[in-house]
Amino acid sequence: MNVSEAVTSRRSVRAFLDTPVPLESVRRVLDAARFAPSGCNYQPWEGTVLAGAPLKALQEQLLGARPDVPLEYDFSAPGAVPKYKQRLSRLGAQMYGALTIGREDKDNRDLFSQQNLTSFGAPVLLLAHFPKLMKEAQWSDVGMWLQTIMLLLRGEGLDSCPQEWMGMYGRTIKAHLGLGDDTMLFCGLAIGFRDADHPVNLFERDRVPLDEAVSFHGFDQAQ
Amino acid sequence: MKVSEAVASRRSVRQFRCDPVDPDVLRGVLERAQRSPSGSNVQPWHAVVLTAEPLARLQAAVAEVFPLGRAGHSIPFHMHPVGIDGVYRERLAGVGESLYASLGVTREDKAGRLAQYQRNYRAFDAPVLMLVHTKAYMGHAQWADMGMWLQTVMLLLREAGLDSCPQLSWADYTREVRACVEFPEDHVFYCGLAIGYRDPEAAVNRFPVPRAPLDDVVRWEGF
Repeated sequence: MNVSEAVTSRRSVRAFLDTPVPLESVRRVLDAARFAPSGCNYQPWEGTVLAGAPLKALQEQLLGARPDVPLEYDFSAPGAVPKYKQRLSRLGAQMYGALTIGREDKDNRDLFSQQNLTSFGAPVLLLAHFPKLMKEAQWSDVGMWLQTIMLLLRGEGLDSCPQEWMGMYGRTIKAHLGLGDDTMLFCGLAIGFRDADHPVNLFERDRVPLDEAVSFHGFDQAQ
Repeated sequence: MKVSEAVASRRSVRQFRCDPVDPDVLRGVLERAQRSPSGSNVQPWHAVVLTAEPLARLQAAVAEVFPLGRAGHSIPFHMHPVGIDGVYRERLAGVGESLYASLGVTREDKAGRLAQYQRNYRAFDAPVLMLVHTKAYMGHAQWADMGMWLQTVMLLLREAGLDSCPQLSWADYTREVRACVEFPEDHVFYCGLAIGYRDPEAAVNRFPVPRAPLDDVVRWEGF
């Protein structure tokens, strides 16, 4: 699969088939993803990959757990700003619209959100973590690594869903995996094959137009 | 170009040819990169793309203060983890050694090392430089989103036959960047991305890029 196809066909998949994921595919992807770039070549990323019984055991623990208080990091900072709040609400409207769950139907919305804890049925879960002392630039490096993985997975015919939701259960997950308190649990990456007929995998996703994000200078002179 | 080929052939290019970059190709890459994922669909990335005269102006501004050494630096808040341990120092030293060895610059040759380092601020002769910025209130998770977007851009550039070099080094001259490029007061500057065509003959583009073995960064359970 070429890069453009991988970028455009990647989406956060929220309903997976129970088809098992070949270990060789995941290994090949993670091996290739080591060549993602990082400032100073720190390669700050670390991962734990779970499947089968160990994944079940973690999920059972998560289903009985509560989110950390306080959270180890806060992913909702932009939520206070109307522009970003709007982007999230729009995503929510499209997603719950596809699921025909109404705006007022808080119970069913929560029930669907809780599926984050079982990674929407994905048979494999990658947990991304790294030393807590890493700064903004290294968080960005971890992002580069994760997107490298997501695109390489597309190349293997696989799908994924990055799950910051897991970050709310950082302490539970770290204790379960035996990771130290100096480790930051950033997110999960659910890995599997998408259920191509499920409406939650079919709604249109919005992106802002390019000119709202990027400006170009000097190109008239260059031509 | 296949995703795996793009990932494997991407490297931080430190010598570009002078061939211009077609603005339509660049725009196409950035348009497609808008599909990159972000938590809550915040899409926190912003960038200013410079070429020709605006790029020359920034380079001249940095060249003027470069002789001041560290005294001329802005203090970037986001780059350097404090208390980082041996393995990361080794990774940094490793890429430095490979880089300078490829150029035949010895450890003792301080002037040679400095001259190579200063080439950062010519963007290694790349005809295009993209400067990445975001709102100051963005949290760590949004920095990871920016990384996902940047790597999407880098891989799409490979598909378009183009190369890049992500450059945290510009953050040392945030003052000059801000003076030359207008982005809003409440934004912070993250890094540059040099964009152009690699000089495939240049030794600095040919040394093997060292990476940690897979089992140093990922552990597996349940396969």
